[in-house]
Amino acid sequence: MEYTRKFSDKLSVEQVKIELLNTAYGNGDTFLAKLDPRTLFLWYLFFGIFPWFIHNVSVLVGMFIFMVVTTYVAKVSPLIIFILCLGLLGQGGYLLIVSLFFGGDLSALLPLLVLTIKLSVISLASITVFCSMNPDKLSDGLLKIKVPGQVSFSISYGYRMLPTLLEEYHHVFQSFRLRGKAPEKHGFLYIKTIGYFVKIAMLSFYPLLLSTAKRARTTVEALETKGSMYGFNHPEVKRLKLAGMKMKRKDYLFLVGSSLYVVGLFLLL
Amino acid sequence: MTKHIDIKNVTFQYPGATEPVLNNVNLSIEKGDFVAILGGNGSGKSTLCKLLNGLIPHYYVGDFAGEVTVNNLNTLDHKVADLSRTVGYVYQDFENQIVSPRVLEDACFAPLHYGLADYRERGLRALQLVGLAEVKNAFVWQLSGGQKHLLALASVLSLNPEIIIIDEPVAQLDPQHAKVIYDILKELNEVHGKTIIVIEHHTEFVASYAKNVVLMEKGNVTFKLPVKEALNQVDILLAHQIYPPQITQAAKMIGVIDSLPITIEEGLPTFSELGPLEAHIKHSASKLNPIVSYEKVNFSYKTVSRDKKQVLHDINCTIYEGDYIALVGNNGAGKSSFMRLITGLVKPGSGDVLVDGTNTRKLSPEHLAEKVTYIHQNPEQMFIEDCVDKDVEFFMKARKVKNYRSKVEQLLEQFELTNLADHDSRLLSGGQQRRASLAIGVGMHPEIMLLDEPTANLDISTRKHITRLLDGLKDTLKAVIVATHDMQLVCEFANRIIVMHEGRIIHDGDRESVFQNYRLLEKAGLVPPQIFSFTQSLGWDQPAYTVEEFAIRYQGRDVANGVYA
Repeated sequence: MEYTRKFSDKLSVEQVKIELLNTAYGNGDTFLAKLDPRTLFLWYLFFGIFPWFIHNVSVLVGMFIFMVVTTYVAKVSPLIIFILCLGLLGQGGYLLIVSLFFGGDLSALLPLLVLTIKLSVISLASITVFCSMNPDKLSDGLLKIKVPGQVSFSISYGYRMLPTLLEEYHHVFQSFRLRGKAPEKHGFLYIKTIGYFVKIAMLSFYPLLLSTAKRARTTVEALETKGSMYGFNHPEVKRLKLAGMKMKRKDYLFLVGSSLYVVGLFLLL
Repeated sequence: MTKHIDIKNVTFQYPGATEPVLNNVNLSIEKGDFVAILGGNGSGKSTLCKLLNGLIPHYYVGDFAGEVTVNNLNTLDHKVADLSRTVGYVYQDFENQIVSPRVLEDACFAPLHYGLADYRERGLRALQLVGLAEVKNAFVWQLSGGQKHLLALASVLSLNPEIIIIDEPVAQLDPQHAKVIYDILKELNEVHGKTIIVIEHHTEFVASYAKNVVLMEKGNVTFKLPVKEALNQVDILLAHQIYPPQITQAAKMIGVIDSLPITIEEGLPTFSELGPLEAHIKHSASKLNPIVSYEKVNFSYKTVSRDKKQVLHDINCTIYEGDYIALVGNNGAGKSSFMRLITGLVKPGSGDVLVDGTNTRKLSPEHLAEKVTYIHQNPEQMFIEDCVDKDVEFFMKARKVKNYRSKVEQLLEQFELTNLADHDSRLLSGGQQRRASLAIGVGMHPEIMLLDEPTANLDISTRKHITRLLDGLKDTLKAVIVATHDMQLVCEFANRIIVMHEGRIIHDGDRESVFQNYRLLEKAGLVPPQIFSFTQSLGWDQPAYTVEEFAIRYQGRDVANGVYA
């Protein structure tokens, strides 16, 4: 019982909110976070796609090690890493079981490991990049590479609303608890209680949708008065916004360093 | 002086509505004015304000007739974007108006998107004007409610508009913070020459700050008068469900015929200084049966930066049967946390809360719900179904209460919601929402009822209605706790007052011990009802707490002194 309580403390809506916000905004002072978003885009373009076409295990392992280092440098939240590991192990494990079930043997293990390493490299690269850019930086970066203003604004606004929405969800969820009736008995393996919570967790989304629709009305009006439409249609606004964005020496150094490392991997291994 | 705003014969009907919200409105406002718009819920106040920044007719394409000129711009010929630089609008639900994650960014948003190169300076200047410069790098979700309101105002000020409209600026604020925002508006008006328009229910603020008053009813402007004259129209105001300042009501009630005072200073010469009739101080019943007790309770929560914030420090308190408690103190004093601990939704960090002798640590909120009802500050957060009727029946249906349908019907009747039974609760007006949330609460047949700010955001008639309902509930409930900034409610309702300050209980007494303790009031940021301060200024030893009490004791004095004999 004590363990379940501790676990549920970690899993509270409050906690999820804190982790999400910290992942989004909390890593502003790392080396990677100070790079220009375009550098990170380029870097990600390579490490997010290229591993699919490499079959040399040692090169993959080398890249994996590099990704572990960058993930460490980016100070990614442990929760995210935990979820990632869970996902990768689940994926690999399930494929292994399926292959064994359909008459395969342990020789399937090696190709599965290769796949898992590829997936890890790509996932870690994504985590590194997206944890190092807060939503505003990401949205400015997208704007710079000619994504429409509406799209880049939506990203930054989405994050602005995230804590509000989570809080509201939490309130609705609590209202269900304050008026509802929990099962008298927990049932075998807490099945009844779990069922009850899953049910209200889902039901809580409906009121949230309705109230969000209502909020959106004010927001859209306010955006209109704050000149967002004007801004999206006038290129000088975009110039003004992105005036501070410059590729600096460390951007080039990072890109050159990464390329040298990858080239090195191919030559030496 | 030139007309700054000129509304001529304007009629407007929202698309899909059956009646126009504005009906042949004529109104002009001069530059540098400070106007308060009064009117009951649904009288068209907000719609009127949306005419001025062009949202009507450009954004809401309903049936529009007439002409609106703002700062010599005809709103039909100019876009929202042009008009917004002249007219700044702060919404009632201002929180949804904040669109960026960081404070400074939000303040800069408008000038940046209008392509003004000095957008950062503008944002900073606006933040300085409202006193938020220190938190410019904070995230908006770290701000308190009052700070968010100031930020919404700053975001509007960054465009340096000539006209500022602010919809219910103090609805959710404690008296100290409310004064802060009005003082800022006053400075903007007097020092920077802005035209200020507020929509306001609190006539005491109107009396102290506004220059002119516009009264609206059913889409019409009933009158526009200088503030003193306007607030003197007591009968007309009351007919529109607006209560003039207490001092004005008191003067009217004791039969002052010529001009009625609207502030304490004006009132002093009106009333003679003869001593009043003595007050009968009622002592509350002996306290025998404890129903809730707090034992050395500490409570904290984690903030986004992963620190712990301690909200309650070492609370010891017992609540007895027959207690009608008002919980008062500034925003952030820990009032809501104090109440939520009784619901079992949150558990104390250390110490224990006992409800009917059982530790809340051992009880789930679902279990406690059978004894305790918590009415949320924002009624919308209590609506979990898609219509009023289903929301009210939810608790009883889940518990398979016998004949629950007839009980639901009865509740809907009692709270005047029968006609609204199939409406979505979220789309009701503020007062209706409040009634619905109370109906939900009463439907749970609680022993203890907890109410968080039950009278915030209400026009006075709805407020009276709610107070009456609360009084009626006293018989069926063992104890009531009301957290509120509304000192009139405190004086009328409570037999015990608990004052909280920075997570501690700093006083536990009744209205005599609270309001006559000047240092306590100052420390906790409480402002007594106007009639109380006034009778104190008159030198009464036992000040009056309500207008009715004042009138009885003031006139009783005349009888006692043989004036009418």
